[in-house]
Amino acid sequence: MRVYQCHFCSAPVYPLHGIMFVRNDAKEFRFCRSKCHKSFKQRRNPRKLRWTKAFRKAAGKELVVDSTLTFAARRNVPVRYNRDLVATTLKAMSRIEEIRQKRERAFYKNRMRGNKDKDLAYDRKLIEQHPELLRMREVELRRKAERLAAKENAMEEEEEITSDDMMSEDEDMESESEAEQVKQKVLLKNKRKTRA
Amino acid sequence: MQLSWKDIPTVPTSNDMLDIVLNRTQRKTPTVIRPGFKISRIRAFYMRKVKFTAEGFGEKFTDIIGGFPNINDVHPFHRDLMDTLYEKNHYKVSLAAVSKAKTLIEQVSRDYNRLLKFGQSLYQCKQLKRAALGRMATITKKLKDPLVYLEQVRQHLGRLPSIDPNTRTLVICGYPNVGKSSFLRCITKADVEVQPYAFTTKSLYVGHFDYKYLRFQAIDTPGILDRPTEEMNNIEMQSIYAIAHLRSCVLYFMDLSEQCGFSIEAQVKLFHSIKPLFANKSVMVIMNKSDIIKVEDLDTNSQELLKSLTTLPGVEVMHTSCHEEDNVMQVRNHACEKLLTARIEQKLKGTARVNNVLNKIHVARPQARDDVDRSAFIPDAVKDLEKFDINDPNRRKLARDIESENGGAGVFNINLKDKYLLEDDDWKNDIMPEILDGKNVYDFLDPDIAAKLQALEDEEERLDAEGFYDSDSDLEGDDEEIQDIKEKAKWIRDKQKTMILEGRNRKSLKNKSIMPRDKIKKSFNQMEEHMYNIGHETETLREKSGQAKFKKELSGVDILKKNQGIQSSKIAKRTAQANQTDRLNDGVSDGAMRSQAERLAKIQRRERNRQARQGEGDRHSTAMLPKHLFSGKRGIGSTDRR
Repeated sequence: MRVYQCHFCSAPVYPLHGIMFVRNDAKEFRFCRSKCHKSFKQRRNPRKLRWTKAFRKAAGKELVVDSTLTFAARRNVPVRYNRDLVATTLKAMSRIEEIRQKRERAFYKNRMRGNKDKDLAYDRKLIEQHPELLRMREVELRRKAERLAAKENAMEEEEEITSDDMMSEDEDMESESEAEQVKQKVLLKNKRKTRA
Repeated sequence: MQLSWKDIPTVPTSNDMLDIVLNRTQRKTPTVIRPGFKISRIRAFYMRKVKFTAEGFGEKFTDIIGGFPNINDVHPFHRDLMDTLYEKNHYKVSLAAVSKAKTLIEQVSRDYNRLLKFGQSLYQCKQLKRAALGRMATITKKLKDPLVYLEQVRQHLGRLPSIDPNTRTLVICGYPNVGKSSFLRCITKADVEVQPYAFTTKSLYVGHFDYKYLRFQAIDTPGILDRPTEEMNNIEMQSIYAIAHLRSCVLYFMDLSEQCGFSIEAQVKLFHSIKPLFANKSVMVIMNKSDIIKVEDLDTNSQELLKSLTTLPGVEVMHTSCHEEDNVMQVRNHACEKLLTARIEQKLKGTARVNNVLNKIHVARPQARDDVDRSAFIPDAVKDLEKFDINDPNRRKLARDIESENGGAGVFNINLKDKYLLEDDDWKNDIMPEILDGKNVYDFLDPDIAAKLQALEDEEERLDAEGFYDSDSDLEGDDEEIQDIKEKAKWIRDKQKTMILEGRNRKSLKNKSIMPRDKIKKSFNQMEEHMYNIGHETETLREKSGQAKFKKELSGVDILKKNQGIQSSKIAKRTAQANQTDRLNDGVSDGAMRSQAERLAKIQRRERNRQARQGEGDRHSTAMLPKHLFSGKRGIGSTDRR
């Protein structure tokens, strides 16, 4: 039993999974799922599809050249079973995997370096270009703050009925907001009329 | 090679030939010359006539020459047959005469065409043509006798039996009236005349029959009289040729009863005189009419004579009676067998055929390279192996012995792992993991893995020391300004997205009617709301709105119109003007002129309509299949590609 590689996307194909196509020159093609099989039948180029390992490697998104990757290989000379050798191999495998993951992480970090500054530069530019939107944002924020304050006031009202001085000020605010609400309702009605 | 000549075209007599050719010329060439014709045209007219006539004769003659067989090309049997029947020389001379006539006529045509080229007048040309046709007619008329002869030959040739000289053939020969035709009637379906007088059969007759699924032909020949070949008549010569030329089995028929009118002695003598023809052929002597008299009943003198027949090697004697159909089939079968064996022998005799096969066979015998002895290699272990003996108590233990010890077939299962060749025998039954963490263990299995791993560890240490894994720690503590910028940018992006979406929704026409933009009424409040949202001050707007209601500013043409005194309501109501002219009244100043123009057009159309002709108002397509309208693929669904 072996874990094979998908011919299209290079994903591992476990026993009892996937499908195999044998061409009339006896070359075997194993696929991890129907998606890969279909793509193969449609003669798609795995190097041009972003979701395949082939693309990621070709585009420099994945660790390609590394000493940890040289350990696994199909050898043409068969190796006789040796208990000690297998024991060391099993230990080595886990160690190699650990190192590989570490290096991959380092690779990823190296690849992503500098993105932050770039993003910040973009953001700065965006803000510079759209002052009018920022004004809208301010209005929105102001509105939000007002609503929040109103809510808090209402809460306080329920709690502190005695404090009259504050009430008068609050009432002014409330009346304003109420008037606004009425306005909006009328607006909506008008809109409906025009639609109809 | 051609064996029968049934489809030779008929040969007309010379007069018929003339009629046919001249008639054809008259029919196929122009006949009238009109007064105004130029001399060149007249010359061409007559030249054509002469040429055409000559061609007609030429065609006819080639047909005749081509139709008859060339006497030198046919099989010798047919050649001799035709020679006796039609006289070879006569036949050749007749065909030669026809051929000569053809060349003569061609020559005449050529000569007179040359003369016609320089004909001065109509009369001269006409006379030249007459002379030419006259000479051709004379040449043809001289062919009278050959043509008549050829027609007779044609008819006779067509009736000749189709004899294939190369197939299996039985030739029946003998004195007249000995029963040859009745034998043919017995063995084939051929309906040959049988009469009790000599020379009933005057020519060759062919019958066919099957023996052993092979087709045979039996040829009945006319009777032969015993006299020198020079004195023989045509009828006899036919049989002689048949015997001489056909590769066959010859059945020599004899009548022992002498009812045919010829003595046994005469018949035996004939056999001996035509003996030279039997070379390389199988011959059988058939004693016919055995119902009347048998050999045993003959006197000794005759018996002696008959014995002399068998002196020729390969001759067999058989008895038969066609009258009682006794022994007929045996004779036939025997003859066929004899013929077949003879033919096979002849085939084998031909050295060319045998050599042909031998040439294709080649047996290769490789040469010895050197003197080194290369014997088969047998290992010592095998050589020293003791011979296995089942009765020997110390015999080798076989796998089947082990099987029987452990419960026999079906119970015992061979442990294949016993045969493993490992460093330590304890390992034989180990189970090795094949997959670990999604990796094939066997791919990593390598005798030098420990060393390689060590190298990897060293490299790792080095990298660590170099600071390869020191992350730049992106936690640079984003200060508030940066945070603020990010937030703002995020808000802007979101807003832009929502705006785009809203705009699309507004525009998308999902089965809704559209209100024209200028008909949509928007209240002041809406505008104020909008302005507030955008972030403008609305105070000043509110102040201004009160004044603006009464002041309506006019612009462009409206100002002019107002100055002229046209009411403002009219200005407002004016809709977009149709930008089209009235084509009916274009170019016509008034109604009277319009009606006059219509009248004129009507008169114009009248004649055309009377003749039911196509007018400019009719449906009309410029081409039968205008490319741009009819071309284009029809995909699935729509047939209208435009």
